[in-house]
Amino acid sequence: MLRQTAISCLVAALVLPAGARTRPHYGGTLHVEVEGDPWQRSSGLARSLVLDGLTAMSPDGTAQPALAVDWKSENGNHRWQFRLRPGVHFQDGSLLNSAAVVASLTDICGAGCPWTAIRAIGSSVIFTSDSPLANLPELLAGDDYRIALAGAGNPVTAPVGTGPFQFTAFSNGILTLAANENCWQGRPFLDAIEIRANRSIQYQWLDLSVGRADLVEVPAEQLRQAHDQRLTVVAASSVSLLALAVSDSGALANPNLRAAIALAIDRGALSNVIFQKQGEITASLLPAEVTGYGFLLRAERDLNKAHELRGGVAPPLLTFAAEGGPAMQLAAQRIALNLRDAGFNVQVVASGASQHVDLTLRRVALESIQPQPALESILRAAGLAIQVSESTPEGLYKIERQILDAHTLIPLLYLPRAWALGGRARDLRLSLEGTPQLANVSLSDVQPEAAP
Amino acid sequence: MNLRQKLLLLLSLMVAFIVAAVAWTVLVRMRQVFEQRDQEETALFVSQFQREFQHRSAEVAAAVDRIAASERMRSIAFQLAQSGDASPFVTEAQALARDAQLDFLEIIGPDGKIVSSAQWPARFGYFEPIAGADEPAFLKTEDLPDGSSALGLFAIRHVGHPESGAGQPIRLFGGKRLDKSFLADLPVAPGMQVALYRHEDQSPTVAQQDHFGPYRFRFDFDPKRLISTSGEVPHADHYEPLIRSAFQTGQQTNSILYLTSRREDSVNATAIPLKSDTGEVLAVLTVAISRGSMVQAQQHIRAIAYGVAAGGILIAIIASLWIASRVSRPIEQLAHAAEEVAGGNWEARVPERGHDEISVLARSFNHMTGELVAQRDRLVQTERVAAWRELARRLAHELKNPLFPLQLTVENLIRARELSPEEFDEVFRESTHTLGMEIANLKTIIGRFSDFSRMPKPQLERIDANEALRRAAQLYFPAASVAAENSNMESKIDCVLEVASSPLWIDADPELLHRALTNLVLNAMDAMPDGGTLTLSAKSLEDKVEIRVSDTGEGLTPEECERLFTPYYTTKQHGTGLGLAIVQSVVADHNGAIAVESSRGGGATFVITLPSVDGIPT
Repeated sequence: MLRQTAISCLVAALVLPAGARTRPHYGGTLHVEVEGDPWQRSSGLARSLVLDGLTAMSPDGTAQPALAVDWKSENGNHRWQFRLRPGVHFQDGSLLNSAAVVASLTDICGAGCPWTAIRAIGSSVIFTSDSPLANLPELLAGDDYRIALAGAGNPVTAPVGTGPFQFTAFSNGILTLAANENCWQGRPFLDAIEIRANRSIQYQWLDLSVGRADLVEVPAEQLRQAHDQRLTVVAASSVSLLALAVSDSGALANPNLRAAIALAIDRGALSNVIFQKQGEITASLLPAEVTGYGFLLRAERDLNKAHELRGGVAPPLLTFAAEGGPAMQLAAQRIALNLRDAGFNVQVVASGASQHVDLTLRRVALESIQPQPALESILRAAGLAIQVSESTPEGLYKIERQILDAHTLIPLLYLPRAWALGGRARDLRLSLEGTPQLANVSLSDVQPEAAP
Repeated sequence: MNLRQKLLLLLSLMVAFIVAAVAWTVLVRMRQVFEQRDQEETALFVSQFQREFQHRSAEVAAAVDRIAASERMRSIAFQLAQSGDASPFVTEAQALARDAQLDFLEIIGPDGKIVSSAQWPARFGYFEPIAGADEPAFLKTEDLPDGSSALGLFAIRHVGHPESGAGQPIRLFGGKRLDKSFLADLPVAPGMQVALYRHEDQSPTVAQQDHFGPYRFRFDFDPKRLISTSGEVPHADHYEPLIRSAFQTGQQTNSILYLTSRREDSVNATAIPLKSDTGEVLAVLTVAISRGSMVQAQQHIRAIAYGVAAGGILIAIIASLWIASRVSRPIEQLAHAAEEVAGGNWEARVPERGHDEISVLARSFNHMTGELVAQRDRLVQTERVAAWRELARRLAHELKNPLFPLQLTVENLIRARELSPEEFDEVFRESTHTLGMEIANLKTIIGRFSDFSRMPKPQLERIDANEALRRAAQLYFPAASVAAENSNMESKIDCVLEVASSPLWIDADPELLHRALTNLVLNAMDAMPDGGTLTLSAKSLEDKVEIRVSDTGEGLTPEECERLFTPYYTTKQHGTGLGLAIVQSVVADHNGAIAVESSRGGGATFVITLPSVDGIPT
């Protein structure tokens, strides 16, 4: 609740003065720069602009209609029926129907889908599952399950969807998206968006300062620096979990060693120094404000206890990989240093190496603020196939405690996701996972007659 | 080995020794000069290298000085002092190090903890135990995030004045890594290779200190740790003694290392210990200067020297050959002539050239041989005269004996004319009988001389010497026994035949050999008028067959032995003196020899030796 309030206040602070100045105008091109791939899942900026899901996440963390206008569950959440919104067309003009939805979702997850079967019946899509899928609407609001027209365009780099923007070109590292005139949500204010991919943060900020970019990324570790430089920052706090995935096989098959690793980590140093006090220390997988039981879990470092748990056992050299940029690598180095203090011999290796790694530092996006789907999304992103069947705080605590006691996924910090805005962009909002919702953004320097 | 060869060998050896001695002296001196120059060059390079090393140390110190004096660093120090929050500066060291081109840089807060580290960014908040500041650069081993460590040149500087009264100052700890890139930046001459050996575990244990001394530690040489600008050093294991010595003594060490079996693959290597500020040897820098060009120059000069020496020796041998030939030729001719003279050619002469001692010797030799020939001729003449005289005496003696009865008989016939016819007839009959006998006797004498003058050439065939003796024994042993029985029992001659059981093959004319043996047997029987023992024996002596004919008669004097085989010499009252001469002639024609062994009163033994042959008789 606190988080929602903070986001709302921040957005209101940005939007209200702008709205008071003038009404939004149509037209113009927004220049966005990102450090990674705009098509990547979970945090890919372009995916949310081109593709829509059957449902969308509302600000309160519940599913709201998108391509599906309504839905209902039967047979104890074993069967779900989603009725499609009529009159929705893909960006190539073809009509959205239930067969296209089934084909898209089948292409997305194949045999790894959480449901058992999916079929199209009239204007509805029927999901059936052997186990109850209580949170299927929230699940379908996730970035992974956005609907693309099967067999059209390049499903990976240039999919055809129903979103407010459509793929135009990708050249010289710049992805160009044009406004979808026939979007079921209405035409966006912007005529086009140019997303420069794989741009370093340093150059993004430089481009922002000289007006060549309107929207750039602000990593959590540089959020304070952005404030110091008086950049206009839009942030979504506690939207990604920094966690250490620990292999439960090989050298770390002994649970005591994994427990020793959990106790050896100095979360304070990670939060205060590496992430410049922008991270929220956590010992639970879900944020404390979501569950309310976070205070029951200890996040303090206890080196003596770690030594005691290790019991003089000197495991062989542990390999440690970090997924992400320099801050993640630095965090991995720091954790490795902490583990050496506890008697472990750790070597940080490059991520993506084919060799087996014992420890992996990764960021997991929090896709919902509802506890049950949020925990499911975290576990799914961490590669843990655990079904969250409980929705009560006691039940969730029990499940989370069980996961934490296994010490295969050690939560460390919750980190914000932030963006810096140039002077032209107006009405920027962030989704729950911190992705900018550019469909509502307009440019202040566009002449009124340029609007359609 | 003849005189010429000896002279040639002597002269050649002498010249070769002289040439070899000169060449050896030149080569040794040359090597000393080269080695000295090599050492001087190495010392120069090492000195230059050490200056460069000091220069790099000063550069590191200057770089850290510049950072400490920079506005940014002063601002950080101020903010730290004001807020006490070090977190905003966690990445500052990396940027500052990058700008100053330093490999290591740590900002150390007033509490001694790391504010920011360029080489190990995650190490913020950890205590850095280094002490001191504002001192010259020093060597230190720095731990790295990957668990390894790196050697570097470091300097520590205060940010701001340490005595400004603002509490504990912030310190900067910066340095440059001593690695391949550092080595690559050093001035390296062609043929020089600079390498760095760093030992991981240099901390001596107490036990090792007790055992080896304060600066010694366990040293396990790992060739892979010796790195140059191009990576691992080839043949690094050859550097072990040098590096070990530098580590253990802490002193600069120099040595020539032979990297392969080829001398040109040797280097003049110097190991320079790199010490920390506490005197501990952290690494050893090796400067190896190739001796390849020097060795090649030496080998080139040596090849020339060997060529000159070989040419000199060859010329010396040719000259020696000519000198030896010139010196030895007259002596060889003299020796050859002497051999010819010894071989019976008294006409041999040697050329007489010059007026030196050799020519005097040659003249004397020629004069001597001339004298010998003259004396021989005179001796031959004298011998011939003597032989004729002896022959005449013998002939006179032999002919006189029958002539005297002839004369008496003729005189009796003349006187018998006075007698009655009956008495005359009787006298005539007796006289003619006597005349006939004496004339026959004369014929016999003349026949013997004729036989001696007409000795036939032997018809050789393979015979058994034993059989030849048996044949003589069968013929004469019965006669010897009968003659003894006819005279009296005391004069009995015992005949003994001693032959080998196996055949004694010789190539001989059986008739001539039989004739020679019968002559000896008859002589032996004649030598024992009072009886005795006649022994015939034969035996094998290596490549000869020895035949002995022995009697136990009066024996011979040494003078008789000497003249025994002289023709017409005899000790018998009625002998012709040709028997033994014929025997000697027969034996000589069979390539054999005959000798006599005798002493007065001890009998005589004639020994014939003939060449033996193998195989069956032909």
